[in-house]
Amino acid sequence: MAEIVIDGKSYSFEGKPKLLDFILSKDKEVPFFCYHPSMSAPANCRMCMVKVGQYVKNRDTGEYELDEHGERQIRWFPKLQTSCNMDMMDDMIVHTHETDNLVKRAHKDTLEMILINHPLDCPICDQAGECPLQIQTYKYGPEGSRFEVKKQHKPKHVQLGPRVTLDAERCINCTRCTRFTDEISQSHQLTITRRGDKNHPTTAPGTVFDDPYSMNTIDLCPVGALTSTDFRFKARVWEMNQTPGLDITNGKGVNVDLWTRDNLVLRITPRHNPHVNDYWMTDKGRDAIQLYNENRLSTPSLRLHPKDKDLVMTSWDNTLQTIQEIVESTDSKQILSLGSPYASVEENAAWAHFSQTILKQKPSYTAHVEKGAGDGFLLVDDQAPNTAGCDLLGLKKRTKAALKKAVSESQVIFSLHDDYIERGWITKEDLKGKTWIYFGTNLTQIANAATLTVPITCAAEHTASYINVDQRIQRTYPAKETKYTNRRLDLEMSEGRLDRFGTKFDHWVNEDNKIDCKPLWEIVSDLFSLWGQTITYRHGRDVLESLNQTITALDGITYQAMDDHRGVLLSTSEPQEAST
Amino acid sequence: MAKKGSKNTATNPPTSYSFTKEQLKEIEALKAKYPEVQAVTLPVLWIAQDSFGHVNPDVQALVAKTLDLPESHVHGVAEFYTQYFKEPKGKHVLDVCTCLSCGLSGGVDIVRHLEKKLGINVGETTADGQFTLQEAECLGACGYAPMMQITNDVYVNHLTPEKVDKVLDQLISGSTPDFESIAMPLVDSTHTTKRGGSNE
Amino acid sequence: MSDWKSYEPTLIPNIEGMHQLDTYRKHGGYEALHSVLHDSKKWPDPSSVVQEVKDANIRGRGGAGFNAGLKWSFMPPADGGPRYLACNGDESEPGTFKDRKIFEYNPFLFIEGATIAAYAMSITTIYVYIRGEYRSWIKKMEKAVSDAYDAGLLGKNIMGSTFSVDLVLHSGAGAYICGEETSLLESLEGKRGYPRVKPPFPAQRGLWGRPTTINNIETLSNVPGVIRNGATWFKSIGAETHPGPILYGISGHVNRPGVYELPSGMPVMTLIEEVAQGVKDGKKLKAIIPGGSSTPILPAKDLENLTMDADALRGAGSMMGTAGMVVMDEDTDIVETLWRISKFYHHESCGQCTPCREGTGWLEKILEKVVKGEGTSRDLDLLLDITSQMEGRTICALADAAAWPVRYTISRFREEFEARCKPSLVPVG
Repeated sequence: MAEIVIDGKSYSFEGKPKLLDFILSKDKEVPFFCYHPSMSAPANCRMCMVKVGQYVKNRDTGEYELDEHGERQIRWFPKLQTSCNMDMMDDMIVHTHETDNLVKRAHKDTLEMILINHPLDCPICDQAGECPLQIQTYKYGPEGSRFEVKKQHKPKHVQLGPRVTLDAERCINCTRCTRFTDEISQSHQLTITRRGDKNHPTTAPGTVFDDPYSMNTIDLCPVGALTSTDFRFKARVWEMNQTPGLDITNGKGVNVDLWTRDNLVLRITPRHNPHVNDYWMTDKGRDAIQLYNENRLSTPSLRLHPKDKDLVMTSWDNTLQTIQEIVESTDSKQILSLGSPYASVEENAAWAHFSQTILKQKPSYTAHVEKGAGDGFLLVDDQAPNTAGCDLLGLKKRTKAALKKAVSESQVIFSLHDDYIERGWITKEDLKGKTWIYFGTNLTQIANAATLTVPITCAAEHTASYINVDQRIQRTYPAKETKYTNRRLDLEMSEGRLDRFGTKFDHWVNEDNKIDCKPLWEIVSDLFSLWGQTITYRHGRDVLESLNQTITALDGITYQAMDDHRGVLLSTSEPQEAST
Repeated sequence: MAKKGSKNTATNPPTSYSFTKEQLKEIEALKAKYPEVQAVTLPVLWIAQDSFGHVNPDVQALVAKTLDLPESHVHGVAEFYTQYFKEPKGKHVLDVCTCLSCGLSGGVDIVRHLEKKLGINVGETTADGQFTLQEAECLGACGYAPMMQITNDVYVNHLTPEKVDKVLDQLISGSTPDFESIAMPLVDSTHTTKRGGSNE
Repeated sequence: MSDWKSYEPTLIPNIEGMHQLDTYRKHGGYEALHSVLHDSKKWPDPSSVVQEVKDANIRGRGGAGFNAGLKWSFMPPADGGPRYLACNGDESEPGTFKDRKIFEYNPFLFIEGATIAAYAMSITTIYVYIRGEYRSWIKKMEKAVSDAYDAGLLGKNIMGSTFSVDLVLHSGAGAYICGEETSLLESLEGKRGYPRVKPPFPAQRGLWGRPTTINNIETLSNVPGVIRNGATWFKSIGAETHPGPILYGISGHVNRPGVYELPSGMPVMTLIEEVAQGVKDGKKLKAIIPGGSSTPILPAKDLENLTMDADALRGAGSMMGTAGMVVMDEDTDIVETLWRISKFYHHESCGQCTPCREGTGWLEKILEKVVKGEGTSRDLDLLLDITSQMEGRTICALADAAAWPVRYTISRFREEFEARCKPSLVPVG
């Protein structure tokens, strides 16, 4: 076991960790820009300087050499060292800025240098509020500027690709973006161009930065040089709430953060999970904001006569009663009940419970797998977030042909989420003469063709769990309010940071954009009571707790456990559908 | 973590530049001298520049395609090194050194003279496309200052306005100045040496 | 020291046609390599060659002045995989124009030296990186290399021995930074010339991750002499702690500028007054930059009794560098000269490290202000402060090279800078 002394405190370590990594892991701080734990360390920002020395040992005896005061002699490195690329060695002594003025001065000097050609346009910069340069300047930077000559001008608002905009003047040349496309996404679409203080990242002329992971460079950028073309100037960071969530556009189960304001999800960024997605996510996953914000099913709607072009809004009470009437007037053999890999474990479970108890039908589902869509990284062939969950609940998987057959043989169809028409599995004609009751979040083609649409909460509005292709169960939090929730009352919802008066910064300017929808388990509970049964699922947790009893693989699985371990890997006794 | 590479999407029309069979052969021979193909990026950019007179983005794309390297890589490399012309230049590019020793010895005066003579400023090309005038950093001819390099090739040393004029005339007439072998002075006399003279 | 007049040049001897292989061989060329490859009594193994070179103390002629043999000894034991020697012919430091003389006049001396080095370190391929601007000299080298191959002096089974090594010429394309040894490696690998973080050192992980040694052209050209005549002979030439012949490049305001081969430790004033035959137009000497633009300027008053070797120059507050001495007469505008040097480093900074990328430009811009008479005394202090923010804070030494001229020129000629400055707007007292 080797030992290192950092700022007078002794730590033991094994192996050859990098010094910066180790210091950060001890909840100490050393400022840095270019370093990223998942990429190579070019040590180019020169920010993470520390003073490093080593105890001197007698070569023959192996004893420590002592000075005249009986203290161990230290041989200091002649220069300050960047800690990001420094291998730790036994008997190392490290002084950070906490204990060494020269280190403190080095931080200040480097920041002064970084800032001389930086436009200092924080008031109009998207990055402000979450900008490492801004934060570190505040903490370690110089008080004022001594730069009184002309700044180096570089290209501004350059559209690098469909999603990423470059302001080269803000760039501090950390090369995180180019290293990302070289080392992580391996599209090699970015390079640094020019030389010296004219350096900046760019694509090759005439090429487009359309890397399917391009927006990770925005997250990586430690300044506002790379910003999201869509999100540019939309919101200040401190006005938004940041809520953990999951990417629902793919079976990988990428961990994300949902950034909300005024009940709109304004952006989605990756959340670190070394077991799933490390620090990254796909650009496609960020488009889920459209699913959350736009074209939502809000308020139940009913087609009064089969020939009516439009559905008309109806009340929740009427909706439930209509369902009851339909079910009671139909032979259960004529009823088809469909779950969905797009719905959570809890939703599918509650639905299956209702289906089996009241409809006397075991629900089935269809997987949405696109062969060849996966890329071996964060995109998998499975397009839905919870296919494994459907399998675990024992939902029967139907093929395209089987679905079409089942639909044609049924009179009443209950379905969740999936848009079979859009996918081309069935046509609008197939719905003719059928009663189709659709529980969904968005105005899909199925919803347009359905008899009754029941709006349910989306992944940004409820607490529920999803099982990814690798059998990892992870959960969402409510990030935005529905018509029936209130973020101030619902303690599960995150709030913005405190301003200097100690109140929340996120004074949302209006309470609009709330969707008139309910969690599926709540609707199911209400339906049960219509049939005189008291099954109460008030919260996703209620469903999960009941599953703890009934499904071995979920025994002991709680939201707390998922939070503590960044999701829980399920040990399933039955082999699941092979993930792609 | 790694994923399949995705290729850049070119929005430009296909380039009109291509390497000849001989050049492709030369490139293959170069590749054999290095363990990795990326190493020939600089030599192949040189072949391209010698052939097309510049390495504009289209030529960079050709180099990338020929070597099966990312376009961004070739672009980044071309932009780093100052001898590569990233856009078409005049027929003759005059790189006049104004750095330390040349600066002390009148290099800037030579630039001014050329500006007047050619009617252009540093960094510009004459209207007839004959000359591009550039200020260069140290070219390693400090003892023979002031000097200039002509189109990345021959050095012309000990410049005076008169010599510059002569060189311009020569270039216009279609010939290039010869390599000037500057004899090593002997240390123990005022005479220069008999040695040297590798003028081939 | 007056015996310099009788010094017989060994790097570039006064022999016509030395650039031709037959002439070179007629005058003892390739005897050293032959002895290394075939005289197993004298050279029982490659490490004996390393030891001899180490004993000779050939201090690197590229500027850093590190013992070449010691550098060779850092190579790990051969493991059967490829190992490289990268020869640094990028010479781009303003004031330096010596290696091209070797390419032109005695290319085989260098090739022989590199081949011996390759044998000593079990190198499999030699890459010779020559700055792209030297196209005329690259052509000369191409001829020499091809002749050496034809004569069996490069390639397979050199001189009938079991030793084989290839030599590849590689042209740069205009980047001073590629003279920095790890940047040179990046450039050889076909990349932007960004210096690498050390450790790992090139001897552990150099070209394509394999053990690599980088040596200057002049340094390697000293090797055949050491092998032929022995380390003791080499050490007897010139200054004791920095022995051997030196190619002094003298430029600037002298009557006879040029490259001169003389022993190390030449008195500076002898080089100026006798070798280069004095300051031009009978003017007085103001200052010199002894070894390329990055080495601190020395005013004329400090030059008496000063000799050109690493230790003496360090003592005088400067450095040996590449021994490319720039001489300035009494009319030299020191302020403008410094601005021009700063412009060079600003132009050449690769842009990787913050202090260098930003600092070089800042220095140049303030100096431009001072040149125009718009600077203040406060600006001079700021310049000094900026240099301290650059020195020792970057991956490679370019930031130091840019900072030193500013620091030392201002501190040694402060009054000339003050004279250019506007009076301070703040009343004093």
